[in-house]
Amino acid sequence: MKYADAISLIKKYDISFVEGSIVRSVDDALKVAKYPVVLKVVSDEIIHKSDQGCVKLNVKDEDSLRKAYSEILSNAGKARVDGVLVQSMAKPGSELIVGGRRDEQFGPVILFGLGGIFVEVFKDFSLRVCPIDREDAMEMITELKAYPLFKGVRGRKPVDIEAIADVLQKVSKLLYENEQINEMDINPVIAYEKGYCAVDVRVLP
Amino acid sequence: MNLDALFNPNSVAIIGASRDPEKIGHVLLKNFIEGGFRGQIYPINPKCTEILDLKCYASVKNIKDDVDLAVISIPAKLVPEALKECGEKGVKGAIVISGGFSEVGNVELENQLKEICLKYNITCLGPNCMGVINPLTRVDSVFIPTYKMGRPKLGAVSFISQSGAIGGAVLDLMARQGFGMSKFVSYGNAALLDETDLLRYMADDGRTKIIVLYIEGVKRGREFFEALKEVTRRKPVVVLKGGKTSGGAAATKSHTGTLAGNAAVYQAVFKQCKAVEAMNIDEIFSFSKLFESQPFCSGDRVGIITNGGGLAVVATDSVEENGLKLAELSDGSRKCISEKVPPYVNVKNPLDLSGDAGADRFEVAVHAMLDDPNVDAILVGVLFQTESIDSRVLSILVEASNLKKKPILVACPGGEYAEVHSRILENCGVPTYTSSTYAIKSLRKLVDYSKFINK
Repeated sequence: MKYADAISLIKKYDISFVEGSIVRSVDDALKVAKYPVVLKVVSDEIIHKSDQGCVKLNVKDEDSLRKAYSEILSNAGKARVDGVLVQSMAKPGSELIVGGRRDEQFGPVILFGLGGIFVEVFKDFSLRVCPIDREDAMEMITELKAYPLFKGVRGRKPVDIEAIADVLQKVSKLLYENEQINEMDINPVIAYEKGYCAVDVRVLP
Repeated sequence: MNLDALFNPNSVAIIGASRDPEKIGHVLLKNFIEGGFRGQIYPINPKCTEILDLKCYASVKNIKDDVDLAVISIPAKLVPEALKECGEKGVKGAIVISGGFSEVGNVELENQLKEICLKYNITCLGPNCMGVINPLTRVDSVFIPTYKMGRPKLGAVSFISQSGAIGGAVLDLMARQGFGMSKFVSYGNAALLDETDLLRYMADDGRTKIIVLYIEGVKRGREFFEALKEVTRRKPVVVLKGGKTSGGAAATKSHTGTLAGNAAVYQAVFKQCKAVEAMNIDEIFSFSKLFESQPFCSGDRVGIITNGGGLAVVATDSVEENGLKLAELSDGSRKCISEKVPPYVNVKNPLDLSGDAGADRFEVAVHAMLDDPNVDAILVGVLFQTESIDSRVLSILVEASNLKKKPILVACPGGEYAEVHSRILENCGVPTYTSSTYAIKSLRKLVDYSKFINK
C-alpha cells in the first residue's frame, strides 16, 4: 500500500500521526518544513528505510534540508521513489510498536510491544485476535515484561496507559475492518505522559 | 447433528467385525461385549453367521430393530457403500475408524464420505480416528485391547484429542492414576465433526466438569476461537497444542509478521479465551486434577503447611516465582495454632510444624488456615519420611479437602511409601504432587481462572 494511503487509513481510524506532508521537490519541502523536521524517502521498494540511509532526523534549517534531501534520494539508488515525506520531529518518549497480521486460521491479529531491542531481542510482545475490547487491550499492556517501565521507574517518566489501550483498540478495529491488509507495522508509536503519536507506518496488502 | 448417537447409543453395529483376534474388527467387538455396553450389539460381516456368540449380519439393512450407531472398520474404499447402507437403514451416527482418506491424499474418497453423511443426516466422526469412550454407557470404539491400554473410571473430565496416539497414551495414564473421565473422543481427519463441534458438545454435557483438549491445528479458526471463548465462561478448558515448532514460518516482511508466527497466535488465542494452556502431558494431569477436585479460590494468597523446613523454603520460592503471594496469617489463626502446638513451633506462614509433627498438628494447622480470611489456598507439604508421620494424616487431608472451602493441594516428595500414600489421596480427590513446584504452578492456573470466573 502506498505510504500516503497508509497514513490516511490510520488517520481515518482517529490514530494520531505526526504531522507531515509528501513532497516531490526540494522547493516544496522548504515550503512545508517547520523545523526541526524529519525527511524520509517514500518508496514501496525500500523496506528498511533507516538502514539504507533514506531517513534524516532532526533537520534544523534550510541548508541542512537541501543537503539531506539530495543525500537520502541518492541513497535510495535505483528504487522507484514516490516523493519525500517531511515530518515534524516527534518529541522523545517511549517507543512502542503496534502491528498486525492476518493469520490464515484466526484472521487479523494485533501485536504490541516496547520498540527497539525489547521486542527484537527479548521477544517481549503481546498478541491478540481482533477485535479486542478494553480489557484485552489492558491485558496486552500489563502482560509485557517491560510493563513496569510504563509506570515509570528510576527517573523514567510514566506513559499514558489509557491512551495506549485506546490506540490498541483503534488499530484492532482497523485490522478487523480492512481485510485487504496482510501485514502492518506502526513503528514507532511514541507514548508520552499524556497521549501518544504514531511516527511511521507500513501496510502490506 | 446428533452427537448423542455417538456417546449414548442404544444399539451399535460393528461393521467389519471379525473372527480373527488379530483384526481391529475383532478387538472392537470384544471391547463392546466385555466392556459391558448397555445396549444391543450387532456384528456386521457378510462372510460370517456368528462372531463371539453374537448373530452376525451381512448388512445393517438386515437388522430388524433400529440401530443408533455404526462403528466402521473396513478398507477405505468400501466405507462409502457401508455408510450409504447405514443411511438407508436410518443409522443416526457413525464412527469411521478406517484410515486411507485425506491423511494419505485421498481427498476424493473423503469427500464422498462427507456427501453421503450429509445426504442421510448421519453424524460422523473420523475417518482415521479412535472414536469414543463413554464409561457411563460403555461405548468403547478404541480398538486397543484393555490389557494394553487401561480404561479410566467414570469421572468428570472429558478429553477431546485430535491425535489417536496422544489420546491413547493419556487414557492409559488416566486409568493408571485413577483419574475419572466423563467422555473421550478422538476425531481424526475431522471430515465432518471437528474440535469446535466437540467442544460445544462437551460444554453442554452435564456430566463434564472440565474439558481437556489436544490439538495440532484447527479446521475453522474463527469458529473455534468464538466457541472456546464462550465455553471457558462455563467450564475450564485445559489445552495442549502439539506442533509448536513447525510450520507457520511463512516469509514475512514486517516485524509483526516475523514475531507473530503460528504458534504465538495459538498461545494468544488460548490467553484471550481464558483457556488453561498446558505445555506437556504432565501439565494436563497437574492442572486437570486440581480443577476437577477443588473449589475456585477467592484470591492469590497461599498458606503453606509442612513438617519440614526445607520443603517450606522451596514452596515459598515457587509461590513467588509463579506470581502468587504468601498469606499473612490472621491473629485469630495464629492464636488458634499456637495454643495447640509445642512452643518451639514458630507460628507464621510458611508454617513449619517441625520434624516431630504428627497428624494432629496438621489437623490444627489445616483447619486454622481454612478459617483464616487472609488465606485463599493451602499447600500442604507432607514429608512421609519422618518418624511421626503415617497413614493417619490421610483422613485429615481428605476430610479438609472434602469441605470444598478453599483449594487444598498436597505435595509429597519421596519414594514408595510416599507414593502409596499419594495414590490414596489422589483416589480420594485430593490433588497430590511429587513436588511443590508442580503444585504451585497448577495453583497459579486455578487462581487466574478463578479471577476470570469470579469477575
